[in-house]
Amino acid sequence: MPGDFLDRYSLGNTVCHRLPPTLKIVLAAAVIAGCALLPVAYWPAHGCLACLVFVGLSLAEIPLSYLVHRLALFLPLVLVTALSVPLSRGFAGGWEIAATVVIRSLVAFLAALWLVSTTPFDRLLAAMSRLGMPRLFSALLAFTYRYIYVLFDELARMKTAQRARTFGKRSAWQRWTATTRLVGLLLIRALNRAVRIHGAMVSRGWRGDMRTLD
Amino acid sequence: MHIADGILSNEVCLGAGVLAAGAIGLSLRKLNDTVSLRTVPLTGMMAAVIFAAQMVKFPLAFAPAYGHLLGGVLAAIVVGPWAGCVAMAIVLFLQMALFADGGWLAYGANALNMGVVGSLGGHAIYSIISRRFAGPRGKIAGAVVAAWLSVVAGSALFSVEFALSHRGGEFDLPKLFAVMTTLHSLVGVGEALITGGVVSYLLAVWPDLIDAPSRPPGVIAGLGRVVWTGAVVALAVAAFLAPFASEGADALEQTAERFKFDKFERTPVALVLPDYEVPIPGVDVSTGAWHKLSVALAGVFGTSAVLGISLVLGRVARTRLAARDAEATHAG
Amino acid sequence: MSHAPAPILKVAHLSYRYPVGQIALCDVNFVVGVNEIVGLVGPNGAGKTTLLLHLNGLLLGTRLAPRNGETASVGTAGYVGAAQNAAGADSNNESRAPVEVLGMPVIPENFPEIRRNVGVMFQDPDDQLFCPTVRDDVAFGPLNLDFPRDEVLRRVAESLASVGLAGFEDRRPHELSFGEKRRVCLAGVLACEPSLLALDEPSSNLDPRSRRGLIEILKKCPAAQIIASHDLELVVELCSRVIVLDQGRIQADGPTREILGNEALMARHGLEVPLSIRYGLEFGKGPR
Repeated sequence: MPGDFLDRYSLGNTVCHRLPPTLKIVLAAAVIAGCALLPVAYWPAHGCLACLVFVGLSLAEIPLSYLVHRLALFLPLVLVTALSVPLSRGFAGGWEIAATVVIRSLVAFLAALWLVSTTPFDRLLAAMSRLGMPRLFSALLAFTYRYIYVLFDELARMKTAQRARTFGKRSAWQRWTATTRLVGLLLIRALNRAVRIHGAMVSRGWRGDMRTLD
Repeated sequence: MHIADGILSNEVCLGAGVLAAGAIGLSLRKLNDTVSLRTVPLTGMMAAVIFAAQMVKFPLAFAPAYGHLLGGVLAAIVVGPWAGCVAMAIVLFLQMALFADGGWLAYGANALNMGVVGSLGGHAIYSIISRRFAGPRGKIAGAVVAAWLSVVAGSALFSVEFALSHRGGEFDLPKLFAVMTTLHSLVGVGEALITGGVVSYLLAVWPDLIDAPSRPPGVIAGLGRVVWTGAVVALAVAAFLAPFASEGADALEQTAERFKFDKFERTPVALVLPDYEVPIPGVDVSTGAWHKLSVALAGVFGTSAVLGISLVLGRVARTRLAARDAEATHAG
Repeated sequence: MSHAPAPILKVAHLSYRYPVGQIALCDVNFVVGVNEIVGLVGPNGAGKTTLLLHLNGLLLGTRLAPRNGETASVGTAGYVGAAQNAAGADSNNESRAPVEVLGMPVIPENFPEIRRNVGVMFQDPDDQLFCPTVRDDVAFGPLNLDFPRDEVLRRVAESLASVGLAGFEDRRPHELSFGEKRRVCLAGVLACEPSLLALDEPSSNLDPRSRRGLIEILKKCPAAQIIASHDLELVVELCSRVIVLDQGRIQADGPTREILGNEALMARHGLEVPLSIRYGLEFGKGPR
């Protein structure tokens, strides 16, 4: 199973983890939106927002190495985008726009990271549905989140079984059909499981409306 | 393929967000109205399948590279357009929240380009084609063509969004459009191959799963026609107009900007396709003389590849089905 | 048990044919009384799970007339919504459903009341734990039975405590061990306080300690139980009575030690005499 789910630090116990999820969503949204709305090259305000996010991340005790790892995946993309502006002007200008793009993306990325790393996903969803996300949508998100783990395990088992049965060099066509079969089989098993889950839901009195304890 | 924050302007994010929210909201309404309680677990599970299947690397036959599934069309074919649209919206939301794929402000644009177009538009195209040709061949051909077109249409939509975000003049819409659609006509071949392969497997193993598509509701049929037309136009641009567009650029280059324009073309490509490793055989989009030919070739190649795939897959499925039937009669 | 009070469960002439046409259950008859714990044994594909799915209306079979009970008249029935035909295929105009719980026929009008009273635990705990946290999952049943929030929370705490998982409320299902998952499933079923518990392979894939824990929990549970299992030692320990199901028909129904100790019967239906009984018989202790 891929281990780089963002919410792996979400079960900590710091000041940030203890804040009410709704407040955290509002804070993160405010930082992201604020940064997007700031005019180009308004450095003091950009700096303040960036500082705020870094303070939040350190208060949440997110390891620096983890942040660096995430940023290494994220930054190249943003840098290339940002550089396209001065590039299209022959490096004669546009540096301020480029810097603003980088800061915006960075702050938005880190603010979202902070939100997800300090709030368990189910709490996040509950808070979002309190803030107006349709109940069916948040229920489906929770359902999908739950079964992603089950399907990853199943996929891993199927891959192992497939590897155990195949050896030697195979042609691209063979590998391709094998992979197609893998996905098709995963789909069939998952849909059969969905039918069984439906049975389990109905058995416990479900009549189609989504109820939660909140 | 996922757009990060800061790339599109706030207005475009807002507009795309409103459109996506409308489409997803409508799909949720339709889902809520369905008679069968089973729709809810099926939709959630379909989203989980797409999420997991996107992690599977597909070895592409024509290069030592990998592609992966996007899944909008596949989801729509299996659980229907509305549930498929919701499933894609969920997948994209989870990728945003759990993997930081795509920005929070750009969620609307991502949902529109990959989710709404893929499932609603894709399903419309699928049902148009599969109703025209009966049997598994029609379904596979529909899936292949819809998958390919959904990728092309999504990229066309992205170039419009990108151009609208940077109206300052430094970006040239027709050229961006040509580059994006050309490139994605190749990326789409990967998507078409995978979707067609999975659908033909499903048809061989569990034919009842994919019912004969009913006549699509009016909204979707309309959307399907729009996507269909849009994609065909995009293809036409890619295959025939792009060379002339670059001719115009050549003239421009002579005046001053040659170096910069050439360089610029690479950027949106690198920007939107970090997770696609689909190579462009023999096509180097950036150099002047090759440009016309390669762009046209790529467009034509894309079209013919898709046609070829659907024919081959149709044949494969038919033999598999025949074998299965033979087995069944043997056993029974 | 012949003069037990009003039976918890009454199955009469239940028959079911899969939509593909294969017959799954044929003329199944039995009664489960209050406090009774019944074992349901039989080889794979005997119809055990199918039978359990009929107890709360997940599948709706038909009532086969006893007089002309040829298999040809077994009707098909769809899955939940599609099946209003519970009584439709009857050949003797008998309009009663083949399954009755607490005197109520299992038909769609009675589903809410029946599902409140029949708790079904499925074989794969992942199929049953569909909520993001343990608390949400155990609360699912009570919430859908329209209990007020306080009552729901009380039931969650109580049923988690009864399966030995007090304090697990905030855990997430994918972090639990298999045994813990199964116990959470049981807690979710117990939270509805059912009068009949239908368990499908409750001990499969459990390590010995989890299995022991589960047996102790079930021993303490006040509800009548029907336990489908290949774990015959568990059946010997828990059940006073056993039903042998094979090829969709009841092949034997009687006291546990008598049935499970019958070597010829066991062999005929792909089963084995449990070692505890064999051992007991060898040393002349006899059944019971």
